[in-house]
Amino acid sequence: MPNTLKNTSVRLGCGAGFWGDAFDPALELAERGNLDFLCFDFLAELTMSLLQRVRAKDPGQGYVPDMVNWFADLAAPAKMSGTTLVCNGGGVNPRAGAEALAKALQAKGIAGRKIGVVAGDDVLGRLQAFRDAGVKLTHMRTGEDGFDRIKSKVVSANVYLGSDGIIEALEGGSEIVVTGRVTDSALFIGPAMYRLGWGFDQPDRIASAITVGHILECAAGCTGGMSSRFDQMPRMGEVGFPIAEISGDGTATISKLPGSGGHVDQFTVKEHLVYEIGDPRSYFTPDGVADFTTPHIEETGADVVRVTGMRGKARPDSLKLLIGYSDGWIGEGLLMFPWPNAHARARKAEETLRERFKRLGLLSSAISFNYIGLNMLHGPAAPMPASDNLNEVGLRVAVKTASRDEAEKVRRACSQLWIMGPGGTSFGAPMKPRPTIALWPTLVPRDLVSHSVEYITS
Amino acid sequence: MTRSLVDIAYVRAGDKGDSVSVGVLAKSPEYYAQVIASVTPKTVAALYGDWIQGKIEVFPMPNIDGCLVLMHDALGGSATNTLRFDQTAKSLGTAILRLSAIAP
Repeated sequence: MPNTLKNTSVRLGCGAGFWGDAFDPALELAERGNLDFLCFDFLAELTMSLLQRVRAKDPGQGYVPDMVNWFADLAAPAKMSGTTLVCNGGGVNPRAGAEALAKALQAKGIAGRKIGVVAGDDVLGRLQAFRDAGVKLTHMRTGEDGFDRIKSKVVSANVYLGSDGIIEALEGGSEIVVTGRVTDSALFIGPAMYRLGWGFDQPDRIASAITVGHILECAAGCTGGMSSRFDQMPRMGEVGFPIAEISGDGTATISKLPGSGGHVDQFTVKEHLVYEIGDPRSYFTPDGVADFTTPHIEETGADVVRVTGMRGKARPDSLKLLIGYSDGWIGEGLLMFPWPNAHARARKAEETLRERFKRLGLLSSAISFNYIGLNMLHGPAAPMPASDNLNEVGLRVAVKTASRDEAEKVRRACSQLWIMGPGGTSFGAPMKPRPTIALWPTLVPRDLVSHSVEYITS
Repeated sequence: MTRSLVDIAYVRAGDKGDSVSVGVLAKSPEYYAQVIASVTPKTVAALYGDWIQGKIEVFPMPNIDGCLVLMHDALGGSATNTLRFDQTAKSLGTAILRLSAIAP
């Protein structure tokens, strides 16, 4: 049904910032948030490739399994509160995810719940068609045209869809929306546009929704998580996930449930505004381009921040397509060394490992050694200590190889240091070789991609 | 005594493909000019050395008394295939706070 009721404001909460996030703050928001929409971001670049691998083994899989259990448990409190649930937990198989959810709802005796399924982002089978249509699939950053170089190794190809499908599913009467790869912010922009009656011809309004979506999409990321002021954040183990109320005029407030842990203040919000972005003047999404140098951010109460003044430009003609391809293996190891002369022990172990790699005939394209406690995190930016009087120092080695067998040699060489290594060396559990995915970001014309919406009822 | 950026600024860092994105926020509006004077492509390049292979851009954000530092080709690949332990550059960003605070 079209949304004839154009509300003056919409209240949105964020229920997850990634696959693996905590469930209890989401449940609290469903029960006590008085929300119109509770939105969950489950996907990341690596997640899509992982899910694609899962689906390759079993065509009935490929969605985020947590989504099914979570939404089954949230359906009843959400219904009580009049809250619609929206997520991208469909992963690379949104239809299968929605079907599994419908089953889980039925098992709980919840019947007649309408689930909207938004797909169309998975273009793995259409890459050749794009090329036949004249799309070169040029690498967005390097400008490289040589897609043929990676063609045989491609494991996933997903277009970042915008809000259109979510809006359509809501207009269709969905009480739950499950999508594939839409942008994180679309999970918030779609519901806001739907409820406030905004159109894509209102770039400043869309910019408001993009900005709020970006602030909320990592859940505790704007309520005290990842904070520079971590020491001032109370009870982070009971952190509250964020709530945004967006008004029809595009202004918004960010808050959280009273009594929950963490804080919402100007810095928790500002820190998240700058998180994982490129040029802040042009934050590109499929729904519009927001200028993050325009929002005014001010504290207007305890754990309440007001965000106003957002400006933006109309949505772009191209959509981002992220292609993942197999990129060999990483073998790694981690060893720890005690005082006295911890640093010298670590250096000796590096020397020994290099000798072992040579003896084992290790074939690698890159080798990285770092000293844990000294330079593993800041690299060349970390000043090295003048004296070797440290309590402990670690050695981490990571090696890039073409095959699993070569990566396995790294594990073997590290294990051999159990006895070949310096006195006092400790190891923990050996680390397994892991396969890696490389990313090929590119653009496709919007008119070559279309979303789909279908419905499943529990 | 010379101050470092750690005395006047906060940092939030993350990855974006093979780029590293670091937001630097003045702890108070009066420090904004110092942040902008201190965080430049040149000072950032000198700090990180060969861990950054590409271009460095600094975008002022006067609306939040901060700036955004974008370091291209700075992650040794992307989060999905880098050899770095800090795969998403969340730790790498705090090194910016080692920069000297320069008077504007």
